[in-house]
Amino acid sequence: MGRQTSNDSPGALNLRAKSNTAEIAPIRRQIEAFVQGHGFDDRATGEIGLCVNEAIANIIRHAYRGKADQPIEVTASVVDDEFEVSLRDWGEGIQPGPLPEHKNDPMNPGGLGLICLGRMMDRVAFTPQNPGMLLEMSKKRFRPG
Amino acid sequence: MSELDTGSELIKNVRVQETNLLATVHGEIDLHNSPDLRGQLLRLLDQTKPKKLILNLEGVPYMDSSAIAVLVETLQKIRKTGGVVCLTNLQPRVKGLLEIARLETIFIVAATEVDALAKK
Repeated sequence: MGRQTSNDSPGALNLRAKSNTAEIAPIRRQIEAFVQGHGFDDRATGEIGLCVNEAIANIIRHAYRGKADQPIEVTASVVDDEFEVSLRDWGEGIQPGPLPEHKNDPMNPGGLGLICLGRMMDRVAFTPQNPGMLLEMSKKRFRPG
Repeated sequence: MSELDTGSELIKNVRVQETNLLATVHGEIDLHNSPDLRGQLLRLLDQTKPKKLILNLEGVPYMDSSAIAVLVETLQKIRKTGGVVCLTNLQPRVKGLLEIARLETIFIVAATEVDALAKK
């Protein structure tokens, strides 16, 4: 399970986990509890939880190619009504292109996770590291309009 | 109607009714347990060769894209023998993801198992 580090403030959550699929749900639930505690409604909470789930699953599958013992760091915060989360890995993933917004062929479910990120988060940025990848996502508590 | 015991916590209450196979799925499904779900669903199709698979998802409050991929693979398999898949009792989070994946265009979605049995 994702271990919470000791330097957390009420507005921040730092988790260190291994690239084991068993870690996905505990991390998702911690993130969901965190954003719910900061006043995000059920829908936004669910969307954030799903996007964090999909991001970790992508790291496990693509960056670490299924290896279960590699590090993942998740840092989340809420500042001025905006949730921000970063996911850091040290794997071999590649930077995806522009996130698709729609599924063209429902019989081919590949890429659905990235579609969720693009549709549910306000901002998604992949930044290659050496080695690995930094994924940063954010979502405002109340979307305009 | 006959019942099958999967010995699994993920799929319970499996029933064969004429050419229909009904099963109830339980729990949150993500990349950790979706491979188990895949194996069990494909095995059930091999065992029973139904014309209609009805999956009751009332006990599934959450699924991710890996679970969606399992559902689509199940549909692809049953379509090879002319079958269909019905999804029933969708919970809100699951329904939302199905809509994003546009699965309502390829699956039969019904409110209940009874409704699913009645659909052609």
